[in-house]
Amino acid sequence: MTTTLLIGMDGATFTVLDGLTTEHPEEGVVMPFLAEMINSGYSANLRSTKHPLTPPAWTTVFTGRTPGNHGVFDFVRFKDMGDDLYFTLYDARDIRTETLWQIASRKDRSVVSLNFPMMAPPPEINGSLVPGFVSWKHLKRNMWPSTLFDRINSIEGFNAREMSWDFERESQIGELMPDSELYAWVETHLPRDEQWFNIGMYLLQNDDPDLFALMFDGTDKIQHQAWHVLDPELWDGTGDEAAKSVRRLVIQYFRNLDRYLQEIHAAAGGEDCHMVIVSDHGFAASDKVVRINAYLAELGLLYWRESDGSESAKKRDLSDFANLDWERTLAFTPTPSSNGVVIRQKSEKNPNGVPPEEYEAFRDKLIADLLALRDPETGEAVITEVMKREDAFPGPAMEDAPDLTLVLADFGFVSIRNKTPFVVTRPTPFGTHHPDGVFLMSGPGVRNMRGDTMSIANTATIVAHAMGMEVPEDFEGVIPDDLFEPAWLADNPVKIGPPTRPMDAEMGIVGKGDDDDREATDEEREEVLEQLRLLGYLEDD
Amino acid sequence: MTTVVTSDDIKTRFRTTLANFIDSWGLDTPITADTKVVDDLEFDSIDITQLVVAVETEFNNRGIGFQDLLMQDGRYVDDLAVREIEAFLISRLLGAAEG
Repeated sequence: MTTTLLIGMDGATFTVLDGLTTEHPEEGVVMPFLAEMINSGYSANLRSTKHPLTPPAWTTVFTGRTPGNHGVFDFVRFKDMGDDLYFTLYDARDIRTETLWQIASRKDRSVVSLNFPMMAPPPEINGSLVPGFVSWKHLKRNMWPSTLFDRINSIEGFNAREMSWDFERESQIGELMPDSELYAWVETHLPRDEQWFNIGMYLLQNDDPDLFALMFDGTDKIQHQAWHVLDPELWDGTGDEAAKSVRRLVIQYFRNLDRYLQEIHAAAGGEDCHMVIVSDHGFAASDKVVRINAYLAELGLLYWRESDGSESAKKRDLSDFANLDWERTLAFTPTPSSNGVVIRQKSEKNPNGVPPEEYEAFRDKLIADLLALRDPETGEAVITEVMKREDAFPGPAMEDAPDLTLVLADFGFVSIRNKTPFVVTRPTPFGTHHPDGVFLMSGPGVRNMRGDTMSIANTATIVAHAMGMEVPEDFEGVIPDDLFEPAWLADNPVKIGPPTRPMDAEMGIVGKGDDDDREATDEEREEVLEQLRLLGYLEDD
Repeated sequence: MTTVVTSDDIKTRFRTTLANFIDSWGLDTPITADTKVVDDLEFDSIDITQLVVAVETEFNNRGIGFQDLLMQDGRYVDDLAVREIEAFLISRLLGAAEG
C-alpha cells in the first residue's frame, strides 16, 4: 500500500487558496477536499529558494539540498566562450546531488515520479518516472523504464501531445493577452493536467508505489496569465463578460484539481497515508517592467550586439537569451528568469573583463548602482535587495550562479530587452513568483495547526521520514517541532542516516556511497544483534 | 556504453541515435548523409538541444563541445546535414582519442 504522497502544485499560494477553500457567495467552496485538509491537518507557508524559480526550487524539493549544492539555478545555463555565449538548457545531468527518488530506490522503496522538472534524461529508479517540461517529441525516450510509454499509451484517452510541454505556448507567458485570447490559452491547461492525473491514477492503482509523487503545473501557468481574475486584491467579480468567462474557466481548473487530490488520496488509502502538498513558490502581482540590461548599458557596463537587419538577427534580439557585444560587455543579465547579473572577469578568453583584483570594488559599486534604480512614477526603489552569490547560494556549485541575484520590489522578473525607459508600468498586473509557497500535510500523527513559515528544503526531510527512511545527514531541512503529535513522534523517531551518494559530475549518475544499498529489515537487525550477543558484545536483558 | 573505435562506429551509433530520436514523430523521411535536420526532419531549436543531450548520452561524453558546431560567426546555424554532424563527432571523438 502506498504510504506517502508528495503532490506538487506549482506556484500555489494561500493568497488564492484561502479564497478557494472558503464559502463564496456564487462559487461555493471551490476546493472542498483541500479545505478539509487545511482544517484537519498541518499547513504553513513554505519559503522558496533564494531565487524562487521552478527549476532550482523543485530540485530542492526532491533533493533536500539548496541550489549551491544541487547546482540548478535557472532553466537555461550558458558557456562563456569569450567572444560569444552558448546557451543551452539545464537537465537532469546537472543535478549534483541525489534525488529522493534515487535514495528511496536504493532503500528498496518503489517510486512513481511524474511531471517534475529537471528529470530528463531520466534517472534509473525502482519504479516509474515521467519527466515534466518535455515536449511530446521527446517524451517516449525520456521515460523510465523504457517500456513505460507503451503502458501509459494503453490508458483510455491518453494523448502525449496534450499532456506535454508546449514551448511555443508557454513562451507566451508574460505577453499581454486580451481576455478573449486568454480564455483559449487557459483552456489548453485543463486537459493537460487531467492527462497527468489519469497517468497518476493508473500507476498508483496498478503499481502501488511506496512513494507516489506528482506535480501539477497548470497552477503556475494559469496564475501567471490570469492573475487579474485570481488575486483577491484585483478581482471583485465586476469585470466585463470576457474576464468573467476567464474567471469561470480558472475556477473550473481549481475544482478539477481538488477532485484529483481527493481521488489520489482515496486511492492511496485515505487517512492511513501521509499526504504532503507543496508548491515551489507562491505568487504575487507584478506591475512594473524593469529593463535591467538597458540600465546596465546606461551604466556603461553592457554593449548591445549590432544587428545586421536580417530576419535571423531580429529573431535573435527578441529571444530570451541576451544578445550582446561580448568583446566589451562587463556585466549582463543572461535571461529574464535568472533575475541575476553576471560579472565577466578577465581571463585568457575574455581579456577585456574585470581584473580579479578589482572584482570586489566593481561588484560593490554595481550593487550600489542597482539599488539606486528608481521608479520615475513614484521615486521608489525598484530593486529592494541584491544578493551576492556566496550569501544566496553557498556550496560547491556556487560558481555556476550569477554573481548577483536581484529581488524586485514587486518580486517580478526582469526584462532583458534593449528598450527604454528602464522602468515602466504594465497595462495589466501580471502574476509573478513570490517567495512564499504552501506546505500542507495530513496523515497519521500529523497535528492540526498552522505552523510557522518553513524552508522548502524541509520537504525532502519530511517525506523521507514519513516513508520510514533514515534522513540522510546532508539533507539541509528539518522536521518542524510542531508537525507531529509527540506520542506519534516518540513511536516514529527521526533517524539520521549516512549522507547521500556522490553523483558522477559528467553524466549525473549516482556513485557508490559508504552506506549499505538498503536499510536492514527488522529480521536482519535481530540476526546481527543475535550474532553480537553470541560474540559477547551485547548483554541479554 | 561501448568504446568508440572507428569513424564507421561513430556514424552507425549516431544514425541509430537519430533514428530512435525521431521514432515517434510520424515522419516518413529516410536518414541519409544529406538529410538536413531542420528542413527534412522538422527540428526546432529545442529538438537540437535535445539531440545534443541524446548524443552526449550515447557517447557518455559531455565534453564534445557542440557549441563549436552549433555556433558560427556569432550566430546559431540555421540547419545541419547528417554528414556535418557525423564529421564533427568523428573529429572530436576520434581526434580526442588519438590526441
